[in-house]
Amino acid sequence: MMTCVRLCGRSTCAVLLVAALLVLTAAPAGALTVVDMLGREVKLAGPPRRIVSLVPSATELIYALGGEDRLVGRTDFCDYPPAAKDKPSVGGMVSPSLETIATLKPDLVIATTSGNRLETFTRLEQLGIAVYAVHAQRIAEMLDVTRRLAELTGRQAALGPLISGLESRLFAVANAVRPYPRPRVLYVLWPEPLLVPASRALLTELIGLAGGDSITANERGDYPRFSIEAAVARAPEVILLASHSGSGAPPIAKDKWERLVSLPAVKNKRVHAIDGNLAHRYGPRVVDGVETLARAIHPEAFR
Amino acid sequence: MPVARFDGVAFSYPLTEPRRDRPFTLSDVSFELTKGEVFGVLGPNSAGKTTLIRLLSRVVSPTRGTIEVEGVSLAAMTRAELARRVAVVPQDMPQGLPFTVRELVLMGRYPHAPRRFFETSDDLAVAREAMAATGVLDLADARVGILSGGERQRVALARALAQEPRLLVLDEPTAHLDLRYQVECVALLRRVNRERGTTIVLVSHDLNLAGALCDRLLLLAAGRMARLGPPEAVLEETLLTTVYGCPVAVERNALTGRPVVQIAWRR
Amino acid sequence: MTRRLVGALATLAAILLAVAVVAVFLGSARLSPLTVLRTLGGGAGADSTENIVILGLRLPRIAAAVLAGGALAVAGVGFQALTRNPLAEPSVLGVSAGASFGVVVGQLVGSSGALFDTVRVAAFGFGGALVAGAAVYLIASVHGTFPIQTLLLAGVIVGIFFGAAVTVLISLVDIDRLGGVVHWLLGNIAPLPARSLLVFAALAAAGFAAIVSQARELNVLALGEEAARQLGIDAERVKVQVFVAAALLTASVVAFAGPIGFVGLIVPHMLRLLLGPDNRLLVPTAMVGGGAFLLVADTIARNAVAPAELSVGIITSFFGAPFFVYLLRTRRGVL
Repeated sequence: MMTCVRLCGRSTCAVLLVAALLVLTAAPAGALTVVDMLGREVKLAGPPRRIVSLVPSATELIYALGGEDRLVGRTDFCDYPPAAKDKPSVGGMVSPSLETIATLKPDLVIATTSGNRLETFTRLEQLGIAVYAVHAQRIAEMLDVTRRLAELTGRQAALGPLISGLESRLFAVANAVRPYPRPRVLYVLWPEPLLVPASRALLTELIGLAGGDSITANERGDYPRFSIEAAVARAPEVILLASHSGSGAPPIAKDKWERLVSLPAVKNKRVHAIDGNLAHRYGPRVVDGVETLARAIHPEAFR
Repeated sequence: MPVARFDGVAFSYPLTEPRRDRPFTLSDVSFELTKGEVFGVLGPNSAGKTTLIRLLSRVVSPTRGTIEVEGVSLAAMTRAELARRVAVVPQDMPQGLPFTVRELVLMGRYPHAPRRFFETSDDLAVAREAMAATGVLDLADARVGILSGGERQRVALARALAQEPRLLVLDEPTAHLDLRYQVECVALLRRVNRERGTTIVLVSHDLNLAGALCDRLLLLAAGRMARLGPPEAVLEETLLTTVYGCPVAVERNALTGRPVVQIAWRR
Repeated sequence: MTRRLVGALATLAAILLAVAVVAVFLGSARLSPLTVLRTLGGGAGADSTENIVILGLRLPRIAAAVLAGGALAVAGVGFQALTRNPLAEPSVLGVSAGASFGVVVGQLVGSSGALFDTVRVAAFGFGGALVAGAAVYLIASVHGTFPIQTLLLAGVIVGIFFGAAVTVLISLVDIDRLGGVVHWLLGNIAPLPARSLLVFAALAAAGFAAIVSQARELNVLALGEEAARQLGIDAERVKVQVFVAAALLTASVVAFAGPIGFVGLIVPHMLRLLLGPDNRLLVPTAMVGGGAFLLVADTIARNAVAPAELSVGIITSFFGAPFFVYLLRTRRGVL
């Protein structure tokens, strides 16, 4: 009985997927409607051929999927892979140039709710340009974004290999760190004022996958301000200081933490700088981020 | 030695000075103030009366010529040294001053000890005496901002007296006063002049006030000295008619024998 | 007069001490009062968490809050006396914005991976404040004098300009890396290391001394610049000295804590209600009273949503903005 239900479920899924693919691919000339991650219906004249991405992680994913021939525009912050810089930029994320976007004649703009402004959404739609919203705070959601971008760029063929590659690397990390006790980790996104990843932050999930227990995992929000006193009282065993290379170099303040000599992390010399870019982007590099975090938290597992 | 001496003084405001459309010039001004005299400065609007006060109190410096007070050039004095000798009673004070009358009068003690943080009891005694002299002692704790025009004028005078100056300069002292206060003000100035031997420079539009109160008058016209001398010599029909550009008649006050200027109204 | 000043200072010092005592016992580490007392008495090990929380974090933060509050309040008194306007405040004259721009530039120009260089950031803050101050001076200056209204207007314009410059810098920076700058712009008190506290204290003391030494002159300046000159005061020198000193105080606070608004407005006004308009009473008491005020605000910021934190600038703005409106409606143009 159970098996039957499961099988039925699976086949229903498969049917729906096939139907979706048919909708997307079977009528290249006809109009089609897709639903974005905010549940909005986005009407397209046909499969998008000219895409502008306002989301750096989406740009990365499009390259990872091999769909870059349909990408005609990006933001100043879409700097990975390096080849992305060859595409024309439409400006920053907060206030991209609508004129530049319009001159690129896109049939679809990829945007996000965290980083782009609502105004940009509405203006683009007033110009008759379809906007597809993506939104990811968890790895599962990142994989969902990947799947959606694969459909939009017609690169479903690349989706399977990409996702299974990412999953097997995550699996390898999990295996490597499993034998070891999970240390209390303090991840410092910004030292002054102290900003940390909380329950809604992707980083909190990544730290968990890398075999650590974030001491701020149960705080509310995504990246709240946090009391340094409370952080000290929770006695972190590993402190990770995000560095932000690239555009500007905000501080990491290692010396400030090393003054707090009573902390286990300081006593055992477990205060490490870490490349903040890896973990702050919701792209395929988050898996690089998990690996980097795991090496920082469990160096003994990767000797 | 004269209390003050102007010697060939000329002054022009910088060309770009925004408060004037054209550069205004004072030129060839030479006179001496004798100790104990009451000296009146008269003249039509923009004749240079206010500029004269600003020069004498070194708010501006002469373009040419020298000004001396008690034989010392103004340029060689510190501001405090000058303020101990010359006190100016302005036409009016800024609106809404938050200070009490006592606090304001005590500011007159500043030039006597600029390095001191708080005034001494001696300073307070001088201020009290100045307030008593001008009849504002009762108002000592009142805020200056709430006083009437006449009271403010007397407070300003008390502040100037607290400076214990050798030379007291008044800019239109009766401009905002009604008749009774004008009379009181004149009486007060006479008393100060008599009792303290303070030399007084009175700058005024009021020809009759100046004629009644002053020992000598200086009439300015378009930045130049039109005439300097006793009231009878300055308040003279043809001269005033030329300088003010309107016909005037000068008579004698039956009681004092001083000249009285009347406008010859045309009907 | 001396007795009145000493009395007021003693009262405010007692309040400050009481607030500091409360502040040292409150914190998200949730140490018991007994533990706090034992730690203060040296009863906890040098490397213990208690020692670090109380002596390494709470006390330096209390000191930083007191210094920043005092410096802002004194700068406020200075700017208000200069402009003869009770609404004048470091931010109104554009000096805060200039310092903020300098600090943001200082944070962005550092080579990648460099250690957090407080000195560099502070120096940039000073640079920004001085540039803003000089710009205001040059715009407002007419033949070596600066008429007060022009000065205020120039301050607003320069403030808008540097505010826009900060926005431009921010929009050039990746949104992911923005959090820190955005939070910093709200104003935060941090537990500064001893050496930074020392630098901060020295700058605050220098600015305070430069203003308090001109307190009597500032009183006379209320009569107008011409009247002040006629009373023996070099009005230009007094104005420049107080302006530079107030800019220095503002810049040091911005460099060490970020732009915190309204302290320079609320504290001088409350003191004026109690002590009257005499700057000789206001400047010294503003140093102590401002310290107590910002310490209260920062203790709220530390504890209201513990273990998360609020920006102290949000707390001061929350009280300050309605206060500004109140002043605007009731005391327009009156010091």
